Amino acid sequence: MKNYDSYQHVRGESLFLDDLTSPEGVLHAAIFSSPIAHGLIKTIDFHEALNSSGVIAILSAKDIPGENQIGGIIPDEVLLASEKVDYIGQPIALVIADSYLNAKKASNKIKINLEKLPPIFDPREAFRNNSLIIPSRTFEIGDVERAWKSCDLIIEGTADSGGQEHLYLETQAALAYPQEGNKIKIISSTQSPTAVQRTTARILAIKMNQVEVDVTRLGGGFGGKEDQATAWAVMAALGAYKMKAPVKLVLKRNDDMRMTGKRHPYSSDFKIGLTNDLKILAYEVTFYQNAGAAADLSPAILERTLFHTTNSYFIPNVKATGISCKTNLPPNTAFRGFGGPQAMFVIESAIFKAAEKLGVDPFEIQEKNLLNEGDEFPFGQRAENCNARKTWNELKRKINFEKTKVNIRNFNQENNLIKKGFALMPICFGISFTNTLMNQANALVHIYTDGSVGISTAAVEMGQGVNHKLRQVAAELFSIDLEKVSIESTNTTRSANTSPTAASSAADLNGKALENACRIILDRIITNIARELKVDDLKRLLIKKNILLLDNKPTEFTWEKLIQKTYTDRVSLSAQAYYATPGIYFNRNINKGKAFAYHVYGTAFIETALDCLRGIYKITDVKIVHDFGKSLNPVIDKGQAEGALIQGLGWMTIEEVIYDERGKLITDTLSTYKVPDLHFTPDKVEINFLEDSENPMGIFNSKAIGEPPLMYGIGGYFAIANAIKAFKQDTNIDCKAPMTPEKVLISLYSESIKQKPLKITKES
Amino acid sequence: MNDKSSPRKFSRRKFVQGVSTTIIGSYVLTPGVSKISEKLEAETKEIASGKKPLNLIVNKVRYELMISPETTLAEVLRNELKLTGTKLICNHGECGGCTVLLNGEAIYSCQMLALDAGEKEVTTIEGLLTGEELHPIQKAFVEHDGLQCGYCTPGQIIAAQAILLKNSQPSKEEILTGMSGNLCRCAAYPNILKSVLAAAGYLTEGTNR
Ligand code: FES
Ligand code: FES
Repeated sequence: MKNYDSYQHVRGESLFLDDLTSPEGVLHAAIFSSPIAHGLIKTIDFHEALNSSGVIAILSAKDIPGENQIGGIIPDEVLLASEKVDYIGQPIALVIADSYLNAKKASNKIKINLEKLPPIFDPREAFRNNSLIIPSRTFEIGDVERAWKSCDLIIEGTADSGGQEHLYLETQAALAYPQEGNKIKIISSTQSPTAVQRTTARILAIKMNQVEVDVTRLGGGFGGKEDQATAWAVMAALGAYKMKAPVKLVLKRNDDMRMTGKRHPYSSDFKIGLTNDLKILAYEVTFYQNAGAAADLSPAILERTLFHTTNSYFIPNVKATGISCKTNLPPNTAFRGFGGPQAMFVIESAIFKAAEKLGVDPFEIQEKNLLNEGDEFPFGQRAENCNARKTWNELKRKINFEKTKVNIRNFNQENNLIKKGFALMPICFGISFTNTLMNQANALVHIYTDGSVGISTAAVEMGQGVNHKLRQVAAELFSIDLEKVSIESTNTTRSANTSPTAASSAADLNGKALENACRIILDRIITNIARELKVDDLKRLLIKKNILLLDNKPTEFTWEKLIQKTYTDRVSLSAQAYYATPGIYFNRNINKGKAFAYHVYGTAFIETALDCLRGIYKITDVKIVHDFGKSLNPVIDKGQAEGALIQGLGWMTIEEVIYDERGKLITDTLSTYKVPDLHFTPDKVEINFLEDSENPMGIFNSKAIGEPPLMYGIGGYFAIANAIKAFKQDTNIDCKAPMTPEKVLISLYSESIKQKPLKITKES
Repeated sequence: MNDKSSPRKFSRRKFVQGVSTTIIGSYVLTPGVSKISEKLEAETKEIASGKKPLNLIVNKVRYELMISPETTLAEVLRNELKLTGTKLICNHGECGGCTVLLNGEAIYSCQMLALDAGEKEVTTIEGLLTGEELHPIQKAFVEHDGLQCGYCTPGQIIAAQAILLKNSQPSKEEILTGMSGNLCRCAAYPNILKSVLAAAGYLTEGTNR
């Protein structure tokens, strides 16, 4: 089924925030931000900037009527810095002018005097300096200390994964309007309207019911607009509130890249113990998360890392410690996978290293240790409806694994300079916000007197097709045409106290709430018409394809007529309903519980061809068997899987976030930060739907899709590693992602260069 | 597929186009001495402020504008003509989001001064429709789900149009080369490729299915 939103997208008619016709008298804002990574603000001189042409005002911390605080989980982040700065790009003042250009020009004229403090950029150094966001946390199962003694092989090592720039193509943006009664309305490009509302109220010292936040759609979010859309929306609101005029704030690309956080880089130590028959007996890991300068969502992301310590494997003895390290970089934040991918990269690295040592292929260890039904995760939950092995076996069958292996081996024997490598990558991803309380949603449904339906939920459309899925849910429950159903903007006056569109859960949570609301109205409609038709047994009545059936025979009541009738009889055609995921809980004191409603499973085969002369590679072939449950929309879900896979491959291979020694982002343009393009895209991508997968916890038995397939990308790293080893068997794979072509080349040819860390410096 | 299956009956494009032509056209077309002198006065003011006249043909409609010389074509399209299908994503010639056709060639409108586009034919995403009928490339993107968030989509479609105008049967390599400058962060690439191949098929079949 085609995505309904496509029609307006292809016509260029979808209205993103910056496309909205600006209101009369709109003012534009630009941000003045910290030029150094760590220091004390001594003096700021706005004089010259204020006299700059077109400038209306410059707002700084002292202009904030309420509390200068935007921290969501921990109150440790100011909106505008006034005493101390903790990273380059940290907002200090908001320049408001008649045009963006004038605001920007003026912001360049602000003079600031700072006293530099020594910055920290490395998470391990932060740890040594006790610069932490929260106390460390440990998830544990079994007894690793005792288990080491039973292991035949123990390997220790480190694995590092880099940051990832979200690069949503629509940058952070907000437009705020002052309203009567000291109220404010904000149109924001956010995944989290309630967070914007709550934070605006706090900053402006008004009540939440004085703030209305509206979101139509996002030009991509990927987690980057879960927490980090808030600051910009609040700044626009502050401007509008103070100026009594609409204020628009749209970040330019390189400001967006410089000022916002990324996927967290992690540096991790692992120790893995196996028996000779390849059973993993024990696994100990310490994750050093580079959180950046403030908590943002880091504690939650760290927690998800711990939840995904063992990926798709059962390991009886595990000790996983997570440390969130505070550094002088922009606060890192949610990014598709939310800490899960970082954990999975480490266990896959450990398996790779163990395989190297044992002289076996990594897939042998992987296969031996896959989860089985009922196996316990380190956090106490058991694997239910476990499809880890099923997807693995199905994939091996699909690709004719034995033959594929031989083909690749033969290819490598016949070719000297092009080498192929492959990896299998199983994934297991937990669905639910790990913070149990966030697993709630509400939906508001109106049926209008012409029979058209309007739906409001918290789900924000950002390309994942949630609008279309919700439309499907309502159309199917009412049994009416899709065209009759419209998804309204996400608006805090219609959907209150909502969780962000995140954790892959928007379709599940909002879909279930929507289902409940539709059923309430449906019930009323049927009960009412039953009275009219003098039918006692309501089961004899059914709406099918826009017509009311009685004993399966059409009645005179079309959907429209039925609605008219309901309305005339003074029966409500609106309902608001609620859903909270049942059966989940988690005890943070002991780190045990049933944190997830269910898990998503899948396995990927990833093949690469490496040019061993130049170090460049191409991911040539990807085949996946993925557990979609009973997909609500196979077209949308397949697109999500492909997109996530490619984004994950990008993270593992070509996307490299580099800060210089002062903490300044070097990769702040699209020419210096490379993301996958059409050329990068694997020649073949084949997504197979695992058959017979049911999931009562998902809407209409479907499974969440947004995040899990991203982690297939991890296989890209190891496919390349295997290709390198096919060229030069004794190459040391350092388990540091991304595996850029430069790094490949260095690892292929130069022992001496490899010793020195790659550092590119540039004077600005 | 026909018009009826398209869910949007009201075309913003048409509306905007109507508004733009009337307003801007009125400089030229409104008769009467007082109006002309007003117009002259306004123009003189604008020239004094450094603005320059620009004749722009966008989607077959002629516009007469006064603009600051540093304005890019993308800015004129978006801010003056309200043709917001063209996106400004990087403003650096690095993403393809602002791709439009200039005399049939794909260009990055963020990298061209509007004055340099004077008297040339500009086609934006809004110009691909025939009435309310989708262009075969637009149809192909819908049919093959060649998009997710939709932000890169106008640029992708115009880039595809430029390729297909040159060669209605492009090879996969030609498509890769022609479209690798158009980034899609949702990475809808496999379906984008399928869409362009399918569009080539529709165009050679000569059908508008
Ligand atoms: S906006 Fe013009 S190329 Fe990116
Ligand atoms: S569809 Fe989202 S960027 Fe291409």
